[in-house]
Amino acid sequence: MPYKILDKKELAMNEIWYKIHAPHVARKVQPGQFVIVRAFSNGERIPLTPVTWDREEGWITLITFVRGKTTMRMANELKPGDEILNVAGPLGNPAPMKKYGRILAIGMITGIVEVFPIAKAWQEIGNEVTTLHVTPNPMVLLKEEFEEAVSRHIVEGFDLQPGWGMQEIAQELVKRAVAKVKELLEKEHFDMILTVGPAGGQKAIFNVVKEYGIPMHADLHPIMVDATGMCGACRVTIGGEVKFACIDGPGFDAYKVDWDELIHRTGFYAPMERLAMEHYLKQLQAQGGEQ
Amino acid sequence: MAVKRKIIKERVPTPERPPEERVKSFVEVNLGYTFELAVKEAERCLQCPYDYAPCIKGCPVHIDIPGFISKLVQYRDNPDKAVKEALNVIWACNSLPATTGRVCPQEDQCEMNCVMGKVGDKINIGKLERFVADYAREKGIDEELLFEIVPKIEKKGQRVAIIGAGPAGLTAAGELAKLGYDVTIYEALHEAGGVLMYGIPEFRLPKSIVESEIDKLRKLGVKILTDHVVGRTVTIEELLEEYDAVFIGSGAGTPRLVNAPGINLNGIYTANEFLTRVNLMKAYLFPEYDTPVYVGDKVIVIGAGNTAMDAARSARRFGAEVTIAYRRGPEDVSARIEEVHHAKEEGIKFEYYINPVEFIGDENGKVKAVKFEKMKALDERDSRGKRKIVGTGEYVVLEADTVIIAIGKHPNRLIINTPGLKVERGRIVVDENLMTSIPGVFAGGDAIRGEATVILAMGDGRRAAKAIHEYLTKKREEQKANA
Repeated sequence: MPYKILDKKELAMNEIWYKIHAPHVARKVQPGQFVIVRAFSNGERIPLTPVTWDREEGWITLITFVRGKTTMRMANELKPGDEILNVAGPLGNPAPMKKYGRILAIGMITGIVEVFPIAKAWQEIGNEVTTLHVTPNPMVLLKEEFEEAVSRHIVEGFDLQPGWGMQEIAQELVKRAVAKVKELLEKEHFDMILTVGPAGGQKAIFNVVKEYGIPMHADLHPIMVDATGMCGACRVTIGGEVKFACIDGPGFDAYKVDWDELIHRTGFYAPMERLAMEHYLKQLQAQGGEQ
Repeated sequence: MAVKRKIIKERVPTPERPPEERVKSFVEVNLGYTFELAVKEAERCLQCPYDYAPCIKGCPVHIDIPGFISKLVQYRDNPDKAVKEALNVIWACNSLPATTGRVCPQEDQCEMNCVMGKVGDKINIGKLERFVADYAREKGIDEELLFEIVPKIEKKGQRVAIIGAGPAGLTAAGELAKLGYDVTIYEALHEAGGVLMYGIPEFRLPKSIVESEIDKLRKLGVKILTDHVVGRTVTIEELLEEYDAVFIGSGAGTPRLVNAPGINLNGIYTANEFLTRVNLMKAYLFPEYDTPVYVGDKVIVIGAGNTAMDAARSARRFGAEVTIAYRRGPEDVSARIEEVHHAKEEGIKFEYYINPVEFIGDENGKVKAVKFEKMKALDERDSRGKRKIVGTGEYVVLEADTVIIAIGKHPNRLIINTPGLKVERGRIVVDENLMTSIPGVFAGGDAIRGEATVILAMGDGRRAAKAIHEYLTKKREEQKANA
């Protein structure tokens, strides 16, 4: 069941925005839910979050960060008018829609994309929402949209240094996030914290937040395959119990998450993902050589 | 006096690829009959009369087995005609013969009752069924037959929604489409087929064959909406507004886990995840296909059902040393004999009377060993007739860099959370007509059974189709009376 790409553009370095015709998702999706996209016949099923949608016109928008073979292929090979093979969903549970009071919603790198629909909806039902985007400077996303949607939007940017790999970026990210969150919590009162982003960053923020005893909602991103509760790839330990992030989550009480287990599980396929990427780059080179 | 027939005691064997060749690839193991071999085997059938034939009684969908076998012999001089006639007989009860011919536990069903078994080998019913389906597909005979059947279908003007494109749902859809109902299947995954696509490996059931069987259903007018997750994309209440009846064939969609420390270590897969990665996502073709799977040198599969055999034999094809660990003894193994036999031929080891109590990980959170308690069997039997087992207090640790848990499944939670739907122990409760506690909503297959076989799910699909037909006929008549 192919889904047409109505529009596509690069928002920031390696951040690609897609507008996709998927009426079955647009009709039903709520903030906090996600979809599974399978773009190519030999492609993976990857979870992505609808950022905006139009129920009448039947479209959703998605933003991908080019980091693996699938996202790179999508960026390179798909253009407006093309079709994506599968968009399944909406999946997962909606974020709780409650009046908490003052909320700090933190998105690290592309995590901010998932913060958007939740933060916007929380603001709309009467919360006072501050959003914080911690990110390398070339990757500022949805800045204007956030400024329009919530009470206050803060971008904590940092410059990438020559020679930095993923490890160094992650370290700087965590350092910046922790410092900024500490600063905000010192000065201001918040009733609820939301985090989305790499598990290591979420854990570091949680360690700050728990000192203040503020409730914290974490949207988790374990590896998923079917995302309908069938395979169990996304299992996480929550309060000592095994839960499936796809049907029990993706949002959980941060105080109950086994963060170290989550960090291990999300990193498991990294070597194989590099292999897939190298394979793809070789294919691209070979194609380039033929031309 | 009855005509005396010569009894041929020995079964005509089907050629198989040798174990040393097949452990290197996912190509199908059994090569199936040729027409000549099929006729030879068909001739052995004693042709019990329809009302007596114990094979038909053993078949959950009651295929006229002597009927289809006799066509092969009757038209032996015209193979195309023989197959077309035989397929027509099978299709009256079963829309997926290429699948059932391969994955049904015939030895416990039709073949178990075969009268020939009293004097020699039982008739190879499964392989004959498979032959008919395969030959028909290869020669386009199935298309020809469809072309004749479809125009004769009388439209009823009522709509039925089916949840899940697995064996139960596909069967119900096929039957209802043949009866003239407008049928739409809602499938959560990107491909129809359910367990036939994600669960059963290519070397046992090639995916192209499942696809071709599903294609025939489409030609019967069945619509399939993939990427639609009932419970999220659309609810059962919403389906009832649009359709006159609903059938739930959502399967046993949630894996059971071993309740032991370390279960979430890396390298521990549920059989569902492992098989989905390998079969549906074709991880054995990684990196040509993008989805990876990690298969280490030492693989332990926990459980001894058909799913465990499928997982073990799949892992073997990645070059691993594979051990099946089972908490009971060899007599309680629930997998088909043929599958256990194939697994052993392929070099898979079996360890009995050991039960996992802890998964041991390394500093990176990856599994490196499994601690098992040694078990022993008592003379006392449980409700299923199996000997009760107890722990001995002795332990054994086996090294493993991949562990696959294949100890069963629960029905999918997204469906069973429907308000008003009566559920007991995770299974949807149905009456004798397979109707659930919600009027007009029927269910079958693993969603009501916990877990069973493809053919039992298909049997439910067929029974449900019949019940839905009766329900909708009554509804039509009532509407006519009120008009």
